[in-house]
Formats: sequence, structure tokens, C-alpha cells
Amino acid sequence: MTESGPGTTDGAELATGSEGDTADHGTDMGQTGTKTGTGTGAETGAGTDLAVHLDGITKRFPGVTANDDVDLRVERGSVHALLGENGAGKTTLMNVLYGLYHPEEGRVVVDGRERAFDSPQDAIDAGIGMIHQHFMLVDSMTVAENIALGNEPTKWFGLAVDREQIIAEITELCDRYGFDVDPEATVEDLSVGVQQRVEILKALFRGADVLILDEPTAVLTPQEVEGLYDVLEELTAQGKTIIFITHKLEEATHAADAITILRDGESVGTVAPERTDREDLAERMVGREVLLEADSDPVATGDVVLSTQNVAVEDEWGVDVVSGIDLDVRAGEIVGIAGVDGNGQAELIEAITGLRTPDEGTVTYEGTDITDWSRRKRIDAGMSYIPEDRHKRGLVMPFDLVENSILGSQRDPEFAPDGRIDWTSVRDHTDDLIDTYDVRPPDANADASSFSGGNQQKFIVGREFERDPSLVIATHPTRGVDIGSTEFIHDRLLELRQEGVAIVLVSSKLDEVRALSDRLAVMYEGEFIDMNDPDAITEEELGLLMAGEQLDEGANSASSASPADIQGGESR
Amino acid sequence: MRKRFRRTREFIDRHPRAASLSVGVIVLAFLWATPASWQTSTLRLAVPIALAAIGGIFAEKSGVINIGIEGLLIVSAFSSIIAVYWLGDGGATMGVSNLWWGLLVGILVSVLFALIFAIVCIEFKADQIIAGLAIWLISLGLAPFASRIVFGNPNTANITRFGNVTVPGLSEIPIVGYLLFDTEPQVYLMLAGTLAGWYLLSRTSFGRWIVASGENPKALDTAGVDVRKVRYAAVLLSGVFAGLGGAGFALGTLGTFAGGGDTAINGRGFIAIATYLLANYHPVGAVLGSFLFAGLNSLQTALQSAGYAIPHELVRTIPHMSVIVVLVLVGRTRLPDAAGDHYESGED
Repeated sequence: MTESGPGTTDGAELATGSEGDTADHGTDMGQTGTKTGTGTGAETGAGTDLAVHLDGITKRFPGVTANDDVDLRVERGSVHALLGENGAGKTTLMNVLYGLYHPEEGRVVVDGRERAFDSPQDAIDAGIGMIHQHFMLVDSMTVAENIALGNEPTKWFGLAVDREQIIAEITELCDRYGFDVDPEATVEDLSVGVQQRVEILKALFRGADVLILDEPTAVLTPQEVEGLYDVLEELTAQGKTIIFITHKLEEATHAADAITILRDGESVGTVAPERTDREDLAERMVGREVLLEADSDPVATGDVVLSTQNVAVEDEWGVDVVSGIDLDVRAGEIVGIAGVDGNGQAELIEAITGLRTPDEGTVTYEGTDITDWSRRKRIDAGMSYIPEDRHKRGLVMPFDLVENSILGSQRDPEFAPDGRIDWTSVRDHTDDLIDTYDVRPPDANADASSFSGGNQQKFIVGREFERDPSLVIATHPTRGVDIGSTEFIHDRLLELRQEGVAIVLVSSKLDEVRALSDRLAVMYEGEFIDMNDPDAITEEELGLLMAGEQLDEGANSASSASPADIQGGESR
Repeated sequence: MRKRFRRTREFIDRHPRAASLSVGVIVLAFLWATPASWQTSTLRLAVPIALAAIGGIFAEKSGVINIGIEGLLIVSAFSSIIAVYWLGDGGATMGVSNLWWGLLVGILVSVLFALIFAIVCIEFKADQIIAGLAIWLISLGLAPFASRIVFGNPNTANITRFGNVTVPGLSEIPIVGYLLFDTEPQVYLMLAGTLAGWYLLSRTSFGRWIVASGENPKALDTAGVDVRKVRYAAVLLSGVFAGLGGAGFALGTLGTFAGGGDTAINGRGFIAIATYLLANYHPVGAVLGSFLFAGLNSLQTALQSAGYAIPHELVRTIPHMSVIVVLVLVGRTRLPDAAGDHYESGED
């Protein structure tokens, strides 16, 4: 089922494409057939068997139309990507399918039967399973307990959970789909990739035939992403249907059988991956041409701005989470730090930014030992910081953007000339930020909490970049940001570098650190295991380094896993 | 010093079961070393602490911190005594001893208060700590006040307490026999309640839901279980257990309700909270902990009657002190992730 031009897919085409279906599918056809399509219309494969058909879904929230007459037709046994930028309405559409939202208009048809889901439970009963971006797992419970949660088979007249049966069913599912998951393991001990498998098992355990995956690769390493693709293949081979939400072009083209693109709540068409390329998809997604590769002309580097010597950090249990880190960052240089989340990047950055005192070692800034400096002194000295957790450290959520715009510079003479804050100039500054960094909606008086994650991030990035820093510590600067804005943030980072700012970039997006960094360190279990020229190392090699493997022995398995087209140069 | 703490921690992290088992053995050995009269008194004094702790575990595991458990003990103790007084001390109603009716009334009143607490916390999203304190303060004022209306005095009249129930045969077993099988009903109820609480929490699906509701309510919600219902059930259960503890203590051990000062309950609900934190929410551990604190209590009584005047105020700080010491040394008490948080379905 493919469609070439932009525009909403047409209801009428379905009627032509699904001869020989069930009787109630036929009634469904009758209804759709009368509906006039708004799109340019296109062909569709003959004899399609639709597992899910969302027909003309419109979902409004106060002030926003999140989905506007969206059609989605998903063939049974296929992988269907739902591609779009942040706020394009992908998740809303899936929440409609999952029974979390009631659409104002449109029909939800599953297995040829029109449904009205009042709750996720109804959707689950109809064979729909959802794997949320943030896993819905209880960390302290075992895999088996999580998978069976809410659906526990019991024995002794309901007096006890039948653990043997749960384990047996899970083992059977694992065998059938080739998963390697220990049902007795505690979830918090598992890697993210395995946790995701537990989520998939949970849906299968409940009898799901259609699996919705919300940004499934956001938290995975490249190797785990490969593993996920294998899982998807196995699932569809056994007749399951997959819908996955993504804003990453490569994933859509690599893993999907069909791609539906959403932009601003509207469907701009469904395409087959072999009939499109990344540029085309990006353009449909953003609505204008997008430059996918960030240029980084070499810049002459200056003096060392930031230097750490033998920095070590212990966590509250006395375990070393960062050890022996030596790092020099020069003016006009971007040093990238890659690694799977939780390998000490956060603690290292906290030690550099002054949120935590290192247990060993020193941090030097522009030649001065600043190990014991306060945050205030560091900010005043020109250290900008884009924090990892924007809600906890980047913004005061119940404050409006005007107030948030001077967090950290509230004593700056520019905004507080006589010790009192000059709100007029702050407001001007805020409006500039909103304008330059395309924060939407452009309302300086709105509370930070009312903005979407991507827009909050753009605002923080703007505030930190416009501080006139000599050092920028950017952790995940484009996390949750759509490709249009990512492109802009990358350009600004490179501009700052051109101006001679020293930049430390921590990101779990490999293509991002690779494309932007002049030098790239890989962090694993608290140590730098390698410092590289990012152009001299492939994405796969990087993934192996991040997984703590040595390149020599891992090289073979890396080359077998079709490298470049998996993650290369993704969304920006 | 710090190194030693760390080694202790590491040991406990690696062998949690061995560590808790050894603590249990130490507690039991400590009790073993005490004279028989202390042992019986320890078991009786443990009743309100142990049952309130199990109740508290249910509520807190589900994500609702029930700090009002002290209040539940107070109202159940008072109402059970007054129910027996009204029905007729020493009599029976419909063939059942009035003491049992008193126990039932105590539980019901406690559940009623727990229900109010649950509605305020779950329906109206009040701060759980403040709502819990309110339950305690209301009970603290209400029970003596009601007593004054009925008896003209904050202390109620005396009633005839539960007598010993002897299990034939089993009571002949040395030590365990006279401790566990020749004792008062409330002690049996405590032991049964412990087992029931442990079983419910660790073996039934409801127990799984309670844990999930306190750790990650959204996971439970998406699994199709109503988090609100689970939390209501858990808080009401805490009312049942606390009511059993308060009424059992009043009817079996005290035989009266003193409403002056901190009332006859005298902070046992708070000690219960300290106890279950110490036991890291394990029902059996909490009961062992309550033996320890009740044992210290009877030790203090014994010392006082022997002429060593250790102020009971000082002894009462022991449970709270030991919680702090244990937290510093071990740090294994882990609050459920979502404890104290409101949950609203459909929130993103």
C-alpha cells in the first residue's frame, strides 16, 4: 500500500484495494466509499488485509487540533512507520488507537470491525498492545511478575498466583520469537534492550496481534537497534503487525514496509520506503528542504579552556562511577563524549559544571583550578550548561519563560543593573530567544510547564548559547527536538565553535557526536576507553566501543551488520 | 570507620536474605534471654505495633504513606472498649462474647477513619503526610472527648479483658508452647495477621498490584488495573490491620482506654512506622522488629520496678534512634518510588 503524492490518503482507494474480504469488512468499505478523499489519491496493492484502519481521525485539544482528518491503513503482518516531527500528532494518533483518547471524528477499525475503545483495556482485548517510549515496568519486580501484571493466572481458587504457568507461557513465547529473556531476572538488572523485549513480551502475553512501538530506538545502542529490527522481522514473520512511531528517517526507511508521514497533525501521505529517500522524507516531514549534513569546517583551535586531571567520582554507595578522566578542551573545538547512558557521563559533567564535587582530581578552567568553585562563580566565568534533565535542572516549571530566561544570570548587570531585575529588558531578551530559537507557541508569559519537551529544550539551548560563554557543556542538546530545530541547534553550535568557544558535547545520538565533534571520547563504565577522530571510526565500531568491547575482536561481527545505512547521519 | 560501614553495606547488598535472617535470629535470641514473664509481656506489647506496621506496609507499598496509623490505633482502641461497655462488660450478645463484638466495632471504626483518609488523599489529592497528621490529631482529640461525654473522664471504665486461650497439646511444647499456644486471642490474631499479610503481599496477584501501584502506578494502569481501586483497598486494609491491633491491644492487654496525654496508645503507631521502615516493608521482619521494641519496653518496665529509673521517654526514643542508625549503617530501606505521589490516569 503505497501512495506517491502528498495529501491525505483517500478513503475510496480502499474499496478498490480490498476485494474478497469478510462481510463486516464489506460494511466498513461501504461507509468509507462514500467519503470523499482530500488527497491526491493513489494506487494501493490489491487484496490488502488491513489489521488496523484509522479513518479520518480528528482529535482536538483545547486550542489545538492534534490530528486533523488523519487516515492510517496498516496491512496485516507488516511494519508500518509513523514518521513525523515532535508535535506532529503521532503519539496522539496512537493513543486514539490504544483507547487513551476519544477522537472527535473518524473511525477506528481493527480487523475489519469498527471499534469504540473506552480504555486501553478495550484496546488490549481487541489485540492491540502498546510499548511506550518510557517503559511501563516495575523495576523492583521480576520479568515474569511484570509480564503478567494485571493478568496473573491464579490457582487455588484465586488465592495464589500460578507462577509456574506464567514462566511456562513466557518460555514458550521466548522460544517462538527467539527472545533470550530470563523470566526470573529482576527488571532493574536488565539492559534497556532486554527491558524493551520484556515490554514486547508483555504485549504478546496479553494476546496482542498489533504492536505499537513509541520511539522504540530512542534508548538503544546501535547493536540493540539491530536486535530490535530482528525482533520486528520475527514478529511480522509470525503474522504480527507492527506500527512504530519515529522521527528518525533511517529507522523508517530501514525497518518499515510502509511509511505514513504526519506533519502538523495532518497526514501528508503514505509511501513505500523503496520509493523514497531521506531527503524526500525530511522534506515531507518538515515542509521545506532540510540540510541533513552539518558542515564542520576545521577551525584553528586556541588555548585549553577546560581541563580535567584524573577526575574520579563515587556514587552514594561508594562505587566509582567516574575514574581517572583526563580531558582537555581547547577554544574552537568540540569534544564529543559518546556512551550508553549511565556510564558516568552524567557524573563527569556534574563534576565539571560544579553540581558535584569530584572525589579525586582537579578541574581547571582557563588556567585556574576551579574544582571547588560554586555554580555561581562558574556561570559568571562564562560556563554555559545545557543539562540532561531539563525539568529538574533546566527550567523552573511553574515559572514563565521570562523568569526562566534569566536563570543563572539574574545578577548579571545587563538584567539587574542596580541589584533589582529590570523586567523590561528581560522580556526583550526572552522575546529574542523565542524568536531566534523558534520556541512555539511564542508566548513569553506562558509557564515553562505548558511547552512541549522539544520547545522547552530549544528555549534552554537558546538561553545557554546567548550567555556569551567561553565554554559550553551541552548534554543531549537535541534530545526530543525535531529535525528542523535540530539542524538549527547544530548550526549554532558550529557557529559558537567558529567564534572560539570550547564545547563539550555529550549525546547518545551517535551521528550527532560524530558529525559535530572534532575529537570523540567513548565513555564506558566511568572511563574513557578511546579518544578518536570521529571520521576515522565507523558507527558500528563506535557502537562496539560503547558496549565496552575492544575493536579488534568485535570488528567481524560489526561488519556483518550492514553498517552505514542503519543510523548514519540521522535526523538533524 | 567509613570503610567498615561500607563493608557492612556490601555484605547486606550481596546477601539480603542472610542479613535479615541473622537480624531475626538476634532478635529472637534477645527475647530468648529474657525471663518468661517478659516474653509474654513482650508478645502482648508487640500486638499493636506489629499489626499497625503490617497495615502501614500495605498502604505505603501501594503508594499512600499512612502516617495516621497512630490515630487508627487510638480510635479502634477507644471504640472497642466503649462498645464492650455499652453491650455489657463480661456479657455476650447473640451468643458471642461482647469482647468479640468490641473487636469488630474497633476494626470498623478504624476502617471508617482509613476510608476518610483514603478519600482525602486519593480523591482530593491532599498531601498524604498532612492528611495523616490530621487523622492522628483528630483521633487524639476525639477519643478523650468522647470518653469525657460518656464517662465524665478522659479515661474509660475498666472492662474484663480477654482470657488466655490454650491450644491443647501444642501448648505442651517447651517455650514455644506457652508463648504461642497458651496466650490471649490478640496474640493469635497478630500471628495470623502476620502470615496473612505476608501471603497477601507476596503470593497473590493483589499483592503484586499493590507493589506495582507504589513503584510505578502508570505501569499498573497500562496493564489494565485501576490504580485508585488498588490504593483504596490497600489503605482500607491498613485500617483493618490497625483496627485489629488497636482493639486487640485495648481488649486483651489494657482493659481500659486512658485518654490523657498521648493516650494509651502512646506513640505505638509511630513506632510501627519506624518498625516497618527498619524491616524494609517485609511483614515478618516488621513483626520481629515489633518484638524488639516491645521487648525494650518490657525491659524498661522491669528495670523501673527493680529500682533503676530509666525514663520511659528515653526508652521510647530507641525505635526512632535505631531507625536512624540502621539507615546510616545500612541504607537498605527503599521507599516505593511513587510513595506520596498522587496518581491520575491518562496523565502524560
